[in-house]
Amino acid sequence: MTFHDAAAREFPPFSTDACIKCTVCQTVCPVARVTDAFPGPKYVGPQAQRFRGPASDHQVPDHTVDLCSGCGICTRACPAGVLIAETNNRARAAMVAERGASVRNRLISDTDLLARLGVPLAPLANLGLRSRALRWIGEKVLGVHRRGPLAPFARRTFGSVWRRRGGLTALPAGADPERTVAYFHGCAVNGFEPGVGEDAVAILERNGFTVIVPKQECCGLPFISNGLYDQARRKARRNLAELAHLARAGVRIVGTSTSCTHALKAEYREMLDLDDADARAVADATWDICELLVDLHDRGELDTAFGPMHEALPYHPPCQLRSHGIGTPAMDLFALVPGLRATDQDHDCCGAAGTYGLKAERWQIAQDVGAPLFAKIRSAAQAGARQAACDSETCRWQIQASTGVRTRHPVEILAEAYRRGDPATDAGLPWRRLV
Amino acid sequence: MPAADVVVIGAGLAGLSCAVELAERGASVFVAAKGMAATHWAHGGLDVAAPPGARSAAAGIALLARQPEHPYARLADDVAPAVAAHLDRLASAGLPHVGALADPLVSMPTAVGTHRPAAILPLAQAAARDEWGDIGLLHVGFERYRDAWPAYAARNALRRPFPGAPARIAAVEVSLPGLRDLHNLNALTLARSFDQPAWRARALRAIAAARPPGRWRLALPAVLGLVDHAAAFAEAAALLDGPPIELVSVPPSVPGLRLWEALRSRLLALGGRLQWGFPIVGVERDGDQITAVRTEGASRAFRLVGDAFVLATGGIAGGGLRAAPDGSIAERVFGLPVSAPPREAWFADDALAAQPIEAAGILTDEALHPVGGPRNVHVIGSALAGMRYLDERCGDGVALASAHRAARLLGRAGAAASVREEGVA
Repeated sequence: MTFHDAAAREFPPFSTDACIKCTVCQTVCPVARVTDAFPGPKYVGPQAQRFRGPASDHQVPDHTVDLCSGCGICTRACPAGVLIAETNNRARAAMVAERGASVRNRLISDTDLLARLGVPLAPLANLGLRSRALRWIGEKVLGVHRRGPLAPFARRTFGSVWRRRGGLTALPAGADPERTVAYFHGCAVNGFEPGVGEDAVAILERNGFTVIVPKQECCGLPFISNGLYDQARRKARRNLAELAHLARAGVRIVGTSTSCTHALKAEYREMLDLDDADARAVADATWDICELLVDLHDRGELDTAFGPMHEALPYHPPCQLRSHGIGTPAMDLFALVPGLRATDQDHDCCGAAGTYGLKAERWQIAQDVGAPLFAKIRSAAQAGARQAACDSETCRWQIQASTGVRTRHPVEILAEAYRRGDPATDAGLPWRRLV
Repeated sequence: MPAADVVVIGAGLAGLSCAVELAERGASVFVAAKGMAATHWAHGGLDVAAPPGARSAAAGIALLARQPEHPYARLADDVAPAVAAHLDRLASAGLPHVGALADPLVSMPTAVGTHRPAAILPLAQAAARDEWGDIGLLHVGFERYRDAWPAYAARNALRRPFPGAPARIAAVEVSLPGLRDLHNLNALTLARSFDQPAWRARALRAIAAARPPGRWRLALPAVLGLVDHAAAFAEAAALLDGPPIELVSVPPSVPGLRLWEALRSRLLALGGRLQWGFPIVGVERDGDQITAVRTEGASRAFRLVGDAFVLATGGIAGGGLRAAPDGSIAERVFGLPVSAPPREAWFADDALAAQPIEAAGILTDEALHPVGGPRNVHVIGSALAGMRYLDERCGDGVALASAHRAARLLGRAGAAASVREEGVA
């Protein structure tokens, strides 16, 4: 490891010294592709960074860094190893610390609070979300774009469904930790898409795992993306406290949201400076669910009794998945389903980038970023595809809202394939629909 | 865990063209790259061989092949078929080139008013090959676009005329519609504007109207479209009384981006896989064979299993070799032995002359196996020892020829029908 690598691991902005000004990052940035308002990753990153820092009076030389959507493509494209997106995220956090955050950004980042408010009132709240008048007011008063892709609230949280089922919340005595997984559902499955969690648990149980759902909160990523590091750290510390002992016991932590799992794997340490033994243990134990299933398959342990699905499936690997550095495991799994013709849509970013695409002043940028992807998925649908797939929730909502094509998590596709492979035994799955 | 017949490490010209040819030959191929590569700052032409004293690329190859440690000493026979196959691929992607290895080298003007010897040029630079006669060279820049310096280029060119240079050289700065309101103008944003047919028509008319009286061949910033380049160039040639010459200045290089996209999309269409943001952090061995490489993941390494591995990570500039201040030079993936001059001999006294350190790299046998390294690794491109590519202008040729050699040796037999084997006409 060189001095740069070591220093960058301690503090990502140190890596900007390695920038050779090749502008590769400028060529891949999806935001700079569609708006002149954003100078691009090189200018707000390595260039501006030299004017930031503890020695400088000017923490905020350039507020355009706030237009960065945080997709992370620049970091992956950099041939010199500069942690561009991470540097820019910290710059935004410094700016928020100096200037404060809007009520809107504080609210849309607090997904646990939204679920606590929205789920008990789901029928009413969802009516509100569908009301054009209320959405218009929401845009004018709060700054949440009236057409921003918001998913309807679930009628029950995944957590309460799990408790009703009598599901495990802690490692039972005598359980084999190797065959036990802790499911990190994240706020999206909890408050909006419990069905994804049900399918995930069903698939894990079908493959012989004991599933526990430990006490958990939102991973904190929405706060990180909005520069609210203190709030994010509170979430992160509470999650680490619940998850670290499981990780040390050898239990794998598995998530269906590539954003949450990336936060657990990397952002707690890289952004929030929570680089202690707990964070390291949790990072090492965390798996994306498709990553885990491909690993099982490599060992010859994955149940591959998938029924046929004779259909085309346009698939978009989200930016956060790509930052895992695990390739596209969902594509490897889709290849195991007879008849399923999944195709990577080969597009950089859908534009949503978590809460970015919800914001009134960012919505059009997000739409323009995703437009080529939406066109591809719409034409796939016209050619007969009945649904699309994507691993990350806000990307799914963005694609679905912008194309009208139902967009599902890969585990929903796989669960359907299992059901088709085994129609006799209660839809082929030990899990019973509880909602 | 993906497994492939061949894992290619690096996605520059060498890595990508090797992967494409392997896929053409029916091999399963996975390209893992730390980041994007030198294609993004390429000048657009094809540097096959133009060492001092050579009158054609073919003569340059022969000259360089006489140096025992030069890659061309082993690869000379592969250059012509490799270049031919490469140009075929680019032509079918809408990027036709002009020129042949046997053609006399011509002087290609540059964005700073100097010139470089060139033989094979993309269509949008090929007018530099034509006689100037009574036609003048008009360097064109755009108002508010800071990456072209037409007046500087023209002054430089007049001060130091090159053999066969045009008699008249001038400069003009054109105000293009709508640019006044933009904050961030670089080659790529301009190229994306030239992809829009309506704006393009207005811009080309503005350029045409800004020409001084007389006959001129225009040297334009290399921004004539990214995805709609063929149409943009054709319209420019029609509106400007002849084809202009695209000049690359500071990165990003739009011709380089076109090249990258042509090779990338061909690889994906052939079923090859490509991941960038995948730096290699570990290697698994079994005796003198590599069995897998490990790439960096967010919390755990990602394994890539292959029967063979192609190292296309570049030299010191490309990041494949790391030179330390103490004089040690390390190959960063496999830790291969590096051939390099001793520390005190790295640099020549003249800073602008060829530098001995450029020749640092990996020594290989005829099959491009590294000497003293694993037997299922092939080394291609600028990681090879023995070339001084700045002076010899052989980087692209070595990349293509070594990629072709490796693909020929590794590609599945019987699937090679689609690969043209004859030389450049």
